[in-house]
Amino acid sequence: MADSPEALQKSLRLYKLIGGVLFVGTVVTVMVATIPWLDFGDHGFDAIDMIIGLLIATVKATLVAAIFMHLNHEKRLIYWLFGFGFVAAFFLVALIALAKWDPIHYNGFGNGIPGSEKNVRW
Amino acid sequence: MEIPYIVTPRKDTGLFNSKIAIWLFLASEVMLFGGFFSAYIFLRLGADFPWPERTLPVLPGLINTFVLIFSSVTVVFAWAALKMRQWGKFQIFMSITIACSAVFMVLKGIEYNVKFHHQAVRLPDYTVVEGHLGYKLKDGVKLEHGQQPADEQIARNAKGKKLEENIINFEVAEVSFNTLRFERSWVEAMMARAMEKGATIKLAEKITLQTAPGESVSFDAGSALGLDLLASIRKAHLAARENNSAVRTDNLREQWTKAHAANPGKRDWELADQVFIDTAAIADKLMPEQPAVSFKVEPATTFQYRPRDLKEAAESGTLRDGTALKGKLLESPMVFHYVDAIDFRHLVMKAEEKGVDPKVAIENSWLLKENPALKQIWDKQQVALAQLTAELGAKGKVPTAKDNYRIGWQEMAYYSVTKIEDVKITPKKYSMPKAKEELNEEFFGPDYALRELAPHPDGKHFGAFPHLSLPREQVQFASKFAPAWNTYYAVYFTMTGLHGLHVIGGALVLAYYLFFGKKMYLSNPEWLANRVEIGGLFWHFVDLVWIFLFPILYLM
Repeated sequence: MADSPEALQKSLRLYKLIGGVLFVGTVVTVMVATIPWLDFGDHGFDAIDMIIGLLIATVKATLVAAIFMHLNHEKRLIYWLFGFGFVAAFFLVALIALAKWDPIHYNGFGNGIPGSEKNVRW
Repeated sequence: MEIPYIVTPRKDTGLFNSKIAIWLFLASEVMLFGGFFSAYIFLRLGADFPWPERTLPVLPGLINTFVLIFSSVTVVFAWAALKMRQWGKFQIFMSITIACSAVFMVLKGIEYNVKFHHQAVRLPDYTVVEGHLGYKLKDGVKLEHGQQPADEQIARNAKGKKLEENIINFEVAEVSFNTLRFERSWVEAMMARAMEKGATIKLAEKITLQTAPGESVSFDAGSALGLDLLASIRKAHLAARENNSAVRTDNLREQWTKAHAANPGKRDWELADQVFIDTAAIADKLMPEQPAVSFKVEPATTFQYRPRDLKEAAESGTLRDGTALKGKLLESPMVFHYVDAIDFRHLVMKAEEKGVDPKVAIENSWLLKENPALKQIWDKQQVALAQLTAELGAKGKVPTAKDNYRIGWQEMAYYSVTKIEDVKITPKKYSMPKAKEELNEEFFGPDYALRELAPHPDGKHFGAFPHLSLPREQVQFASKFAPAWNTYYAVYFTMTGLHGLHVIGGALVLAYYLFFGKKMYLSNPEWLANRVEIGGLFWHFVDLVWIFLFPILYLM
């Protein structure tokens, strides 16, 4: 963690820069979503638009986490603690997904509703 | 005793304690918001109705994103100022951060308010109409076209609230109150209305109730409705209920004792299907109960109810407090003063499930068949759609379901002022023709007062948005743009609301350091710097969540 005044001053310049990058990232997100000639894939909202939007959001979030929240020079213990949250969230999402999709009893992702007989493999 | 390791790092972790604590807390917050985000994803993927994509105005959300990012930068500057022992700078940056959070919440409040005043309704054939309802005007008030009613011209109810033109008129001949659940204010309102119209509400039949063994009280047929009458009946009914349940319990206990005596050694569950209350034996001990009281309204009078209070059928209705009405449902239209969007996507989904051609289904819908103004707008939409299909087809693409089947307010405002032969899409914009949006309209939705004055191409009419009177049978489900309307809005309000609460909480903590931190700064500045760092970490997390919320809810 930066402690001396000079190191802090350098950090301040970096924070301003990253703040600017985040602003630009936000503008890019809106432009990709609204301007027609930046619409990749099919006309309107489709899978590729979602991927691009979430990718930009993830980059912005990583910048906030790494630089504003000092994670880039933080102790390993913190990585473990915070990372565990994401691991737990992943299992939460997986459990909910398995409530809807049942790959054990249905080929591919059957919809898991008893009575819908497609793709059954008991 | 001083709290350990608030400044000095612990030897084993290498960090001061609150840092570990806040990261643990943020991990739990990842779980919290992760749960909601994943719920949103599953709801969206599994939706059986057309998901409202990109229906929220983007500008307020965009400004909120800028505001939060800016506040993230200033909070980190505030922490740096504390580390460099610059109290003045800390105060300035922290004040800016808290001001940004206030701006965020104000913008959010405006967004919510606009949504809560915007009406949506689904017809039985799954057409969706969106717009604004009119307010009932005082009797005798007539407005010029384009004139907005002044506050004094709008009718108010007994509580001083404006009444939307969405009222159910029910002519009541007989009313039956639930003795226990009747709502006092509604009974009083009913009595007042009857008096106003010169009608009487009288007890239908004589009622005799026992208040105690040997004592009874009776109410004659023809007694006038009154709160004290209902209260006495209620008191007697409750006493009877208490007595009856005690009598039944005693008898049942007796029967069990007899059964056990007759069948020694047998367990309860072996005897259970043989043990019953001896109804003949207790019949004379039971007191009569009166769960409902019937009154006749003479002559039959029209009462007005809000749709949320009354479940109505052609000749009967039930109020939310259990009151049963018998009579006649009169004309109770839902009057849209301005229709600013019509959406056929759900109707098309249902038609495609049945194998019906969507365009045919739409042309046969009640909305287009019974409303020539809207049919004209639909025809103009088809002209524009043909042009858009051609333009997109040249690039190998097709118009979206929204382009095909939804007419939003900007499109409607454009069509209303354009002749059908002049309908033209803007080249290279690859979207349906839209009227230009003013800046205030980006926040508050269409400016009705302004657009009401837009001249029609036929030279005879004014107004960008058509008027529509929906008969009650055509209202399957009506709601404002609130969590009740559909899953998307439910999730939107839940997630942004929860996020907003986090913003308020974080701002309160930061405000505490700003206003009450001077003393700590003078005695232990490094501790204050650490506490502000922790508060800043929470603030960054709140910003992080918004960085994901904005694209997912507003742009996708």
